[in-house]
Amino acid sequence: MFSTSSQRKFWTYRDEDELADLRGKHNLNYISKHGAHIDEIQRYNFFLSPDEERLLLKQYELHLKEFCKRFSPPMPKGVVGTAFHYFKRFYLYNSTMDYHPKEILATCVYLACKVEEFNVSIGQFVANIKGDRDKASDIILNNELLLMQQLNYHLTIHNPFRPVEGFLIDIKTRCSLANPERLRGGIDEFLEKVFLTDACLLYAPSQIALAAVLHAASKEQENLDSYVTDMLFRDAGQDKLAILIEAVRKIRSLVKMVESPAREKVRIIEKKLDRCRNQENNPDSEIYKRRMRELLDEDDIPHTGPSRMSLDTSGVTTVLSPSAS
Amino acid sequence: MDDQACPRCKTTKYRNPSLKLMVNVCGHALCESCVDLLFLKGSGSCPDCNVPLRRSNFRVQLFEDPMVEKEIDIRKRVLKDYNKKEEDFATLREYNDYLEEIETIVYNLTNNIDIVGTNKRIEQYKKDNKEIIMKNKAKIGREEVELEEILEIEKQMEELRRQEINRLEQEAKKQKIREKEALIDELMFAEGDAKEILNTFAQNKANKQEELLPAVPKVTQFSTGVKFTRVSTQPTLPLIEEGPLYKYEAPIVPDRCGPDAPSIEDIVRCGYLKHVRAESETEKAGGYKSTLPCLRALQDALAGLYHTS
Repeated sequence: MFSTSSQRKFWTYRDEDELADLRGKHNLNYISKHGAHIDEIQRYNFFLSPDEERLLLKQYELHLKEFCKRFSPPMPKGVVGTAFHYFKRFYLYNSTMDYHPKEILATCVYLACKVEEFNVSIGQFVANIKGDRDKASDIILNNELLLMQQLNYHLTIHNPFRPVEGFLIDIKTRCSLANPERLRGGIDEFLEKVFLTDACLLYAPSQIALAAVLHAASKEQENLDSYVTDMLFRDAGQDKLAILIEAVRKIRSLVKMVESPAREKVRIIEKKLDRCRNQENNPDSEIYKRRMRELLDEDDIPHTGPSRMSLDTSGVTTVLSPSAS
Repeated sequence: MDDQACPRCKTTKYRNPSLKLMVNVCGHALCESCVDLLFLKGSGSCPDCNVPLRRSNFRVQLFEDPMVEKEIDIRKRVLKDYNKKEEDFATLREYNDYLEEIETIVYNLTNNIDIVGTNKRIEQYKKDNKEIIMKNKAKIGREEVELEEILEIEKQMEELRRQEINRLEQEAKKQKIREKEALIDELMFAEGDAKEILNTFAQNKANKQEELLPAVPKVTQFSTGVKFTRVSTQPTLPLIEEGPLYKYEAPIVPDRCGPDAPSIEDIVRCGYLKHVRAESETEKAGGYKSTLPCLRALQDALAGLYHTS
C-alpha cells in the first residue's frame, strides 16, 4: 500500500524546487571536491552545470525507454517503471560526473528485472547491449550493490499500472461510459511520457493513474468529471477534491511539457563529461583498472593465522590429580 | 590386517588369533610365548632395551600403545611416594605446583629424559617427606578400612533380605500343602457335591491371595542400601510468577490516504467480477479467486488519492 510505503515516506517530494535543490547540491559537492585546483571562472567551463546535467539525464531517460522497448524477451511495464524510478532516485543524490548515466542505466534495468521478478540471467541481459558484453556485465555487477546502497535498499516501487487497472474495473462497473477499453491507447501513451517527467517523485501512483485515465478520456471526447466528483470523492471534503484536481492538472502539464533535448547540445555535454567525470569510476581509466587489480590481489593473499589447534597440553597436567591413575 | 604383532617372533594377531601381548615396566611388548621362553628362570633382560625385568611383573597389554602401559606403571610407582593430599598444602597454588611436579617426573621417566636426575629427585623427596608419606599411607589404610566396613554392612543386609525371602517362600509352600490336604480331607469325609467343594476352595484361595497382596512390607531402602531420606534433602522447585493473561487486540488498519475500497462482498454483489478474468478450474484448486486481484487493483487505485506533499 502506497500510504505506508517507503516510496511515500522517503521518495515523494514536495515540489520541483526541492528536487532542483537536491540535484544542485550534489552538483556543487562534486565540483568543490574535484575542482579545488581550478579557479572560479574556469570551473564553469570545465564542469557540467546543474542544467546541463538535467539535459543529459533527460537524454538518457529516452535511451532507457528505448532500451526497454527493444529488450528481448519483451519486458512487462512494471519493470520499465521500476527502472525509471531507480534511475531518477539515484541521480537525486549523485552527480552524473561521478557515475556515468550510461552505466547506471543498465544497472537500474537489471535490478528492476530482479525486483519485479522478471527472470533474466546476466548473460541474457547483456545480449541486449551493443559492444563488449563481458565488460558490460562486469560494470553492471560492480554497480549493482552501489545502486542498492544509494537507493537506501528501498526497492519496492508502486507503479501506476495496477491503479489504472483498478480505475478501469471501477469505471466499467459504476459508470455508463461506453467501451472503456478504448481509453487504453491514450493511457499507455500518457504513462510512457509520465516517466520522462519528475511526476513519479512528486505524486502518488494512483494520482498519476487517474490523470492518465482522465487525459485519455478527454482525448476520446468523453468526460469523467462526474465519476471523480460524485463517486470517488463523494464522501471526501471539498479540500481533498481541490488537491486532487490540482495534482491532476500539474501532472498533465508536466507531460505536455515533455520534449526531447536538442541533439547538438547533448553531444557537447557528453564531450565535456568525458573530461570532467570522476576517473576513479571510469572503467576505461588507468586509475580504475589499477584499483580493480589491487582488490583482486587482496583476495588472493593467503590466510596466515594459526589454522590448527596447538598441541600444547601444559595447561592440562596441572588439573590432573594424583588419584586419577 | 591387524597390525598387532610381537616385535620378537613377528607373530601377528592374524596368524595366531590367541596372541596375547604382555608388557613390563619398560613399556616394550612381547607375546606370551616369548615371555615363557625368555623368562624361563623368572628374570631376564628386555630384548629391546636390556633393562632387567622380572617375569612376575608382566601383564596383559590393555592399551594399543605400549607407552601408555609404561606410563601407568611409572605413575603407580611415583604416586606411592607422592601421596600428599590437598589438605597438606596451604594454598591451591602450591598444590597445583606439586601436581605439576608429579607430571613432570612421570613424563621424564616415560620419555627417558634425565632419568638419573629424576630418580635422584624422587629419592630426595622421599627423604624430605618421610613422615608425611608414612602418615598418608596410614591414612589411606584407614580409609580403606572404612570402605570395607561399609561393604561388610551391605553384605549383612543382603544376607538378611535373602533369608527373609526364603522364609516367605517356604511359608507359602507349606500353606499350599496345607490347603491341598484340607481339600482332600474335605473330599474324603464331607457329604456334599465334589464339584461344589472344589469351587468353594478355589474361591477361598482367591480371597486369600487378595488379602496377601497389599501386605507387601513397605520399602525404606533401595536395593543398593541407599536411604530414601537422602533424596528429600534436595531443594524444591521455585514457583514461577505468571504474568497477566494475553489479550487479543485487532491490528490497526493504517490510513489508506484515499477513499475506501469496496469489501469483498461488495465486489461480488455489485458485479465488479464481470470485468475481471475469471479464475480457471486449476486456479480454484489452488485457492485462487478472482476477487483478490480485483480487490487489490481497486485498493491500489484508491489508496493515495488524497496524497499531499
